[in-house]
Amino acid sequence: MSAALAAANGGAKVRLIESAPRLGGQYWRHLPEDGADGWSGQALLHTAYQAGYLLRTQVLSHPSIEVLCGVQIWSAVRVADTVSFQVLEDGVNRTLETRILVLATGAYDRTLPFPGWEIPGVMTPGGVQALLKGSNVLAGKKIVLAGSGPFLLPVADGLAKSGAEIVALYDANSLRRWGAHLGVALNNIPKLMDGVRYLRTLAAHRVFLKSGYAVICAHAGVDGTLESVDVAQIDREFNLITGTQKNIECDVVAVGWGFTPDLSIAQSLGLQQELGWDGSAVVSVDELQATSQSGIYAAGEITGIGGADLSLTEGTIAGQAAADFLKKINRSLTRNKLIALQKRRSRERRFARSIAEIYRVKDGWQGWLTDESIICRCEEISLGTLRGAIHELGATDLRSAKLFCRVGMGACQGRICSSSAIAIVAKENKSHPSLQDQISANNRPIISPITLGQLAAGDADSL
Amino acid sequence: MNEVTPPRHIFTFFFDGKEIPAHPGQSVAAAILNQGSRILRQSRIAAKPRSVFCGIGICFDCLVVIDGAPNQRACLAQAKPGLLVEIQLGSGEDHLQVGGS
Repeated sequence: MSAALAAANGGAKVRLIESAPRLGGQYWRHLPEDGADGWSGQALLHTAYQAGYLLRTQVLSHPSIEVLCGVQIWSAVRVADTVSFQVLEDGVNRTLETRILVLATGAYDRTLPFPGWEIPGVMTPGGVQALLKGSNVLAGKKIVLAGSGPFLLPVADGLAKSGAEIVALYDANSLRRWGAHLGVALNNIPKLMDGVRYLRTLAAHRVFLKSGYAVICAHAGVDGTLESVDVAQIDREFNLITGTQKNIECDVVAVGWGFTPDLSIAQSLGLQQELGWDGSAVVSVDELQATSQSGIYAAGEITGIGGADLSLTEGTIAGQAAADFLKKINRSLTRNKLIALQKRRSRERRFARSIAEIYRVKDGWQGWLTDESIICRCEEISLGTLRGAIHELGATDLRSAKLFCRVGMGACQGRICSSSAIAIVAKENKSHPSLQDQISANNRPIISPITLGQLAAGDADSL
Repeated sequence: MNEVTPPRHIFTFFFDGKEIPAHPGQSVAAAILNQGSRILRQSRIAAKPRSVFCGIGICFDCLVVIDGAPNQRACLAQAKPGLLVEIQLGSGEDHLQVGGS
């Protein structure tokens, strides 16, 4: 939204393609504008909600911005100067083309496999929050939150305010890790205050963050849905500390380990990528958010996980740069304004780097698994099967492991398990995950599913 | 019962033979979870129960059959009056397999 607004204000005609039914992304996800259930009634669930509401209103009312919501891009190719998207809108296939593109496809929860994580009731924190923000529904009554990262706090905050019982809130990494990042923290006081506010609200609901613990196993009841989880203390490298394990009853456990950038479209367009500060592949961009291909810009989580504020700053820079590219002018922003935006971006990026460092995922998680643990949820591939592909068939990277045992080849196309599978293959081969592995995991020529019927009925000429 | 604000049930649809209340903008998955049903699918290989995992259309674990169309993500599908939603068994298209019934 910030890129669309900056580009439109810079004189460009803009078409905004949003896959969700309403603007706002994951951060400002909301029910329709329908009295108390709409955006206006959800202030308590949203941080910076006024800013989001203002931005969305500016975008919707701007005469140069056409907003297309509920449009799924399933194919993206570039031929000469033109980016061509195949999209599904209300089940109908059509083509959308552009010469200039700002890509901001966001991110989704990073997950790690653990025994029982496929049981109904095990969710991601983002999923729990999406039910609450998007549908006004609590995922369960007795909820355990775990994993690592600052995102656990707003999710817990929203749940507590909405009346769920939060049985426990665990972060695998110790808060003491902030010690080495105090300078960066002091440069980002508003963000720290958000954290303090969440902790205070949670304390009022008698929820206290315990660090150094992880959910290591989920158990189903007789009906096949979640009944309890095993929790244990872990050391700095995420190895289990023996004798600390205990069982906790709950009907939902939400476990998240930061975020994975959604690079399917960037990869389809062949944009150059690099390893981001949290170890995931990200789109390479220059000072103006320009990618390796002229006319294509990228902003937000796909250039490095950093949260909503950094995404807004990057979007503003990218949108303005895209408008300048269109008009073939060098720089319409005054030099001072650009410098101010870039300074803000640097500060926010430093904060993002610190967050990635403090809440880093350590390899010890692999020790929580047994040979029976599912790694690939779609294809139901166990760790034992994956180990077989590595040690008996000789898989040395994700690609060969996929071909030998179908790990990461199911309906989600490796979006959920590929980073974990890459880590497992690397560790079993006594090597390290490579950028090439991360990039090839994002190869999805068909970005979202389309039926043959939809394909045949659509605008077939353009294929 | 898990509603944040007092329920404003505007319409219903059907899931697994039960009538599910919902209001505009809710996803099919959210309305179903809100009524206490948690199993949306049986996995293709081990026939184990599955439900909403990522909640934002990424993981494909909440696949259901909606009005006869299989492989619909319940977390993305918007609830609409009168929808017939079924638990998806297997691939949802097992009848199309060679030797299928």
